[in-house]
Amino acid sequence: MKDNYAIEMLGITKRFGSILANDHIDIRLKKGHILAICGENGAGKSTLMSILFGLYEADSGIVKKDGVEIKVASPHDATKYHIGMVHQHFKLVDTFSVLQNIILGEEVLKEYEENPNFLQKCFNWLNKNVLKIIDYDKARKEVEQIVERYGLHVDLDKKVKDISVEMQQKTEIIKMLYRKNDILIFDEPTAVLTEQEIHEFLLILNNLKKEGKSIIFISHKLNEIFEVCDEITVIRNGKCIDTLNTKETTKEAVSALMVGRKVELLSKPSRLGYSEEVLRVEHLTMVDPRSKKAVVNDVSFNVRKGEIVTLAGVDGNGQQEVIYGITGIKKTQRGTVLLNDKDISAFSTREKTKAGLSHIPEDRQRHGLVLDYSISENAILDRYYEKRFSKCLFLNQKAIKKYAADLTEKYDIRSNGDENTAVRSMSGGNQQKIIVGREIERNADLLIAVQPTRGLDIGSIETIHNILLKQREEGKAILLVSLELDQVFALSDRILVMYEGEIVGEFSPEEVSRDLLGLYMSGAKRDRVNAIK
Amino acid sequence: MNKTKSFFSSILKKNATKTVITSLWCALLGLVLGFVVLLCINATEAGYGMSSILGNFLIFKSPDDRWNYFGQTLAKTAPLIAMSLSILVSYKAGLFNLGASGQYSVAAMVITFMGIGANLPWWLVMMAAMVAGALWSLITGALKAFFNVNEVLSGIMLNWVALYLVNGILTSSPAVWDSSHSEASKISSASNAFIPSIGLDKLFAGNPIVGLGMVLVLVASVIIYVLFKKTTIGYELKATGLNSDAADYAGMSKVKNILVATAISGALAGLSASLSLQNGFTSWRLSSTPPVIGFQGISAAFLGGLHPVGVIFSSYFIEHITEGGSMITDLGFAPEVASLITSMIIYFSGFVAFFKEMMRKYEIKDEFRRISRNKGELR
Repeated sequence: MKDNYAIEMLGITKRFGSILANDHIDIRLKKGHILAICGENGAGKSTLMSILFGLYEADSGIVKKDGVEIKVASPHDATKYHIGMVHQHFKLVDTFSVLQNIILGEEVLKEYEENPNFLQKCFNWLNKNVLKIIDYDKARKEVEQIVERYGLHVDLDKKVKDISVEMQQKTEIIKMLYRKNDILIFDEPTAVLTEQEIHEFLLILNNLKKEGKSIIFISHKLNEIFEVCDEITVIRNGKCIDTLNTKETTKEAVSALMVGRKVELLSKPSRLGYSEEVLRVEHLTMVDPRSKKAVVNDVSFNVRKGEIVTLAGVDGNGQQEVIYGITGIKKTQRGTVLLNDKDISAFSTREKTKAGLSHIPEDRQRHGLVLDYSISENAILDRYYEKRFSKCLFLNQKAIKKYAADLTEKYDIRSNGDENTAVRSMSGGNQQKIIVGREIERNADLLIAVQPTRGLDIGSIETIHNILLKQREEGKAILLVSLELDQVFALSDRILVMYEGEIVGEFSPEEVSRDLLGLYMSGAKRDRVNAIK
Repeated sequence: MNKTKSFFSSILKKNATKTVITSLWCALLGLVLGFVVLLCINATEAGYGMSSILGNFLIFKSPDDRWNYFGQTLAKTAPLIAMSLSILVSYKAGLFNLGASGQYSVAAMVITFMGIGANLPWWLVMMAAMVAGALWSLITGALKAFFNVNEVLSGIMLNWVALYLVNGILTSSPAVWDSSHSEASKISSASNAFIPSIGLDKLFAGNPIVGLGMVLVLVASVIIYVLFKKTTIGYELKATGLNSDAADYAGMSKVKNILVATAISGALAGLSASLSLQNGFTSWRLSSTPPVIGFQGISAAFLGGLHPVGVIFSSYFIEHITEGGSMITDLGFAPEVASLITSMIIYFSGFVAFFKEMMRKYEIKDEFRRISRNKGELR
């Protein structure tokens, strides 16, 4: 049965300084199967794959392909053994066309093939060794064959910077196939995709499997794993915990293995007894200055105390703009925003903060943090001016340090140093916890959370969900923007579906099915809704 | 053994140490290349030429001469420190003050009128110079803050506007203009506007240009250090410089911060003019190019690792080389050679960023491992 495996990694150990990133990990990928490797951020998945792809050298352990031991010392070797990898952050040249990116490094040169005469032979030699003129027509034909065979439709002539993330991912996949790879590694491929795109991506994976490719799929999203994978290897703290057959296990079992404990979401008590309105948005309209199109069109809704209202919808249907409008990052054309019955539409960001608005922004690295600042400097980013932290222009370093230490402890923010560690060196989950902690601790009446768990692992998601639910219990009003239906259903009291800048449906999570919500999100159904309750 | 090794490697990993090392490397590289050029021009005198560039005041035999020229180098360092502080402040706030020469020019004009024409007390003249520099700089700042005009472009253009404005006004003011030398009259040591030497001249063999100015510029360095380390203003400016979107999100006012940064930066350029003109050593000269100190300040700021204390040393180094260079003309080198060598050294000093990048690349494998150890994603 030995040759049944496409790839075997046996006893892989890798140590970085004092930290054991991989501790005798065994994985076996069967031919024509999809193997999921799942584990929390920092469990050692990426290190393991980097070893397979030749970016790192293992301290001990062997790699076998088709039962034969191989030595992969560089990505170049990996290509030689037909091992391909799509990294989480794509390795594409922005200003090149899709076609150019695909053939990059494996260019087809112009060549006279059928019985070349002397001159043509000369040209062949010259082109092969000196000129290196690329035969784009021939390359295109080869690429088009792949595109047809796997149904990966991409405009080959567009520049990479002009195409969507989904298309860029397809480009990466074609790139692997063009190199005739039969072992395909995907490092968290769905982190950047929307719900619909993920669905399509999983179909592609199945297609590839049907064509006999063996695939390693790194992810911590269990839904996807259970949809397409044959086996699951769970890694925790650098150790291989277990390998399970997807058909014989459950999501709950796998997630417990991943975190090392049972994941428990606080159950959401049904409606709390509050009724006071905290946020009221009336007729909000926003126009994109470039396209002159209304990205938010006459949107009205409110959020009451102890209530989580979720703006759901496919990415880019105006949810983010509504938040930008409320928080003042972008200008609004029409409409009023009332916070605790006070009109804050014309307030500056600072005045809004002071009026009781807390905001966990969508893009933590762009808006939420100054990456080169330390944990303590970031902990006071929107409250350094408070009396508690500064006196007559001078920062109160002692108070700041103390506060940051408390925050770090309370929200379990982990770094490899103390409060003076630069945030840049920390993992995404821990960066997010700084922001969440900072905004919650401000104890504002309204908390706006935009995709608060994007890119985080199960453990961190659980922590943040529970924090939000606790805030709700304490009577805070929470406005949530989420693209993930699981989250929408787990947290919301009211779901407002946005489509093309309008609220097209209002539901309570108990009354609506995923399918119906999907119809509204895709614009197949729409009502005109004034969501003020 | 292992312990000392890890001790050293932990020191080496510190950012400050890295900056110091790269700065020293750059200075050394500049010196070596300067020496090569000297060798090409006049091989026999090159060794002696280099030693006089490096030795500066040390080439004099008598202790009095040595102290005198040492004092002179120190006094000329003061304006350069002020100028590099000016560059540093704007840079930390995410702006690049290429208009420092213009701010210097306008301040120089104010000093000439107030110091020579009106014979006002030195501190008043100094403050006026700083205000003038700040106001001129605020033109760039306002354009940036309200209309998002690139501060580099407007700064450079305003350099020329300032240059011709000052040239024009001063040459047509006979009260302060010495037309026989094509320069403004110098501030004499007897004048009210002369920065007092508070006895420091006696330490330096009676060289009158050594004085309070040096002390003041050190105080300015400390103030800037404290500003960025301890105050909310510095906290805001740095946040704006590092990530202006996050600063926006946190409710910091972009307009205010740009104006504050450009004003402080301009005031320091004004201080620079005051420190070089109000000790009678030099005065405004008719010239067709903006004062070069505005650009030397950039080299000094980067060579000093963009640190308020670092720039004290880098400014001294640059001034030391410049002064030393001016002496090699006596050895049969053309005066241009001296400027060529010194500007080459200064030029390579500006490579700090490049060397830092090299060091970073050297460590990038380490970094990559550390990050991927911490988390799955590489963002």
